[in-house]
Amino acid sequence: MTAIAAPSVPAMPRLALGRTGTATLLLLPIAIINAIGFILPVLNLARMSFNEALAGGGVREAFTLANWTGLFGDTFYVELIVNSITVSLGITLATLVVSYPIALYLHRSSGRWRTFLTVLVISPLLTSAVVRTYGWIALLADQGPIVSTIAAMGFSPPRLMFNTTGVIIGLTEILMPYMILSLLAGFGRLDPRVEEAAMTLGAPPARTFWRVILPLTLPGIALGCLLCFVLAVSSFITPKLLGGGRVFLLATEIYDQAIVTLNWPLAATLSMLVLIIFGAALAAYARVLRAID
Amino acid sequence: MMHQTIRSGSPTLSDDRDAHLRLDGLTKRYGDSVAVAALDLAVPKGELVALLGPSGCGKTTTLRMVAGLIKPTDGRIVVASQDITQVPTYRRDMGLVFQSYALFPHMTVAKNVAFGLEMRSLPKPEIERRVKEALAMVRLEALAERKPRELSGGQQQRVALARALVIRPSILLLDEPLSNLDAKLRDEMRNEIRDIQQSLGITAVFVTHDQVEALSMCDKVVVMRGGKLEQMGTPVEVYEHPATPFVASFVGRTNRLEGIAQGDGRVAIGSMAVQVPGRPGGKVEIMIRPHRMKLVDVGSGEDAASEGVNRLAGSLTRVTFVGDLLQYHVDVDGTEIVVEAASDHGRGFRKVGAPVAVLWRVEDTMVFGRGA
Repeated sequence: MTAIAAPSVPAMPRLALGRTGTATLLLLPIAIINAIGFILPVLNLARMSFNEALAGGGVREAFTLANWTGLFGDTFYVELIVNSITVSLGITLATLVVSYPIALYLHRSSGRWRTFLTVLVISPLLTSAVVRTYGWIALLADQGPIVSTIAAMGFSPPRLMFNTTGVIIGLTEILMPYMILSLLAGFGRLDPRVEEAAMTLGAPPARTFWRVILPLTLPGIALGCLLCFVLAVSSFITPKLLGGGRVFLLATEIYDQAIVTLNWPLAATLSMLVLIIFGAALAAYARVLRAID
Repeated sequence: MMHQTIRSGSPTLSDDRDAHLRLDGLTKRYGDSVAVAALDLAVPKGELVALLGPSGCGKTTTLRMVAGLIKPTDGRIVVASQDITQVPTYRRDMGLVFQSYALFPHMTVAKNVAFGLEMRSLPKPEIERRVKEALAMVRLEALAERKPRELSGGQQQRVALARALVIRPSILLLDEPLSNLDAKLRDEMRNEIRDIQQSLGITAVFVTHDQVEALSMCDKVVVMRGGKLEQMGTPVEVYEHPATPFVASFVGRTNRLEGIAQGDGRVAIGSMAVQVPGRPGGKVEIMIRPHRMKLVDVGSGEDAASEGVNRLAGSLTRVTFVGDLLQYHVDVDGTEIVVEAASDHGRGFRKVGAPVAVLWRVEDTMVFGRGA
């Protein structure tokens, strides 16, 4: 057989994209999805918040600040906003306090034990928040195990459900996995050798914690708090069920306005307000990070 | 006497009465495995003692027990006649320098150094004065306001040293402090640590796997193996009169030959025989340092047997040039012998495969029994 001449392959026209070009191309799909699924609806909401609400659920195209001025002029809404932020901050703090020791222990454990504990921490996320909230209803009910135990010990039985206390207890537990995972992600700078160095220099455990461990875990704390605060402000099912209609928070009020009262412009205004709160939280987070560095 | 087959003859470090740090039967067990086995050690005040051994020999575990970071299974740690075995780390008053430096990344250099003084609640002006002093000692005054990550490895190590020394610890503990530095810096830091230790007259324990560090810096060297003390003595004692074959081969390079001692000062190695100091008998191993041997061409003027000199014939298999040294690899009856000679402007290279002889003085031969 004669040798076959190698067919001359026409050079493929190569796209001269460069680094930024490639990055842009790769980011394009998610950018499009975000534009359609997130930015457009938000802009829509923003527009809606300037429309005029008519009685019976009607909306008239307009450009009025009435919804916004009405919001801040009404003591009910001012209280609702303040209450939402305070309760969310409380939930964030409670979540941090109960999650921190767990995260620290997890960070220091190793091998199979660590894997097992990590799975244990994540496993609540595999169950819907609705189910977990009903679980809390069973536990916190007036005839539930907690209240009856307290009553059996001779104390006056407290109300743990259908009030702010119940909402805080339920959301704290539901948000714990997020907090623990965020803390762990931010514990990278924590080196056991550094803790040992503090001890050899004369720092008892408590002072080692305040002077070395806590400062080195601040990035994780900031991340966890941001995430939990945002999730607490926007949580709806747990406050709705455990609040029993007696706890008024932004997310539940938005639902009521949009679905029950059918005042869409007001619901849109409240939604935009939540977005503004998130923006403020994000700005605070960025500031904290810069201060840590 | 050169001949040293007996182990128990190793000299005691010092009288127990002026020992500043004393370990009595210090033991650490992890389940069935023994990390440190009944270690006895006495370190006199102001001395720098090296714990030398391969990884896993228990040297770091020993140091961490002294620092209080690991609880001993058994035994006692005594500092200045006080039993501190149960005293928590933060009340032990020891300065520990870590291999990884372990500086506080969120604090400036000055704050790092001040930490130990703040824990002791000293007045502010005194803290400032002593931090300045300590930073001057390690020549880092100019970098006081920097963060650790802005410093080089050598600078970080000096900060760690200043931080450990500023509290005026009763004992300075150094855990492989030089192994993360490059070779040139390591030599520099070696001298710097030694100078500072001597000028402060501080008692120090230095953990290392590097025999050069141990020999060049320390007053005493403690060779450890498998959690046990193998030998302790001055650097010269440990190098020139190793108590065991392990010490001989771990501290410095050695050639090893096995043979049968005849009881008259001769050892038969295969078909050859060599003279050794003393009159050992039975199975023995003999060791000779490469630089104590000389390579000569067979039949040349230098190849003359004389009283007190051993000779083994073989063939040259390889010549390695390592800068300051030439290493000749010689095949002697199937055993490889390495001979080292100072290199001299590229002279001394020989043809591989040539018949050569290695010569060494009888007194440079180390003999160890191999049991019955």
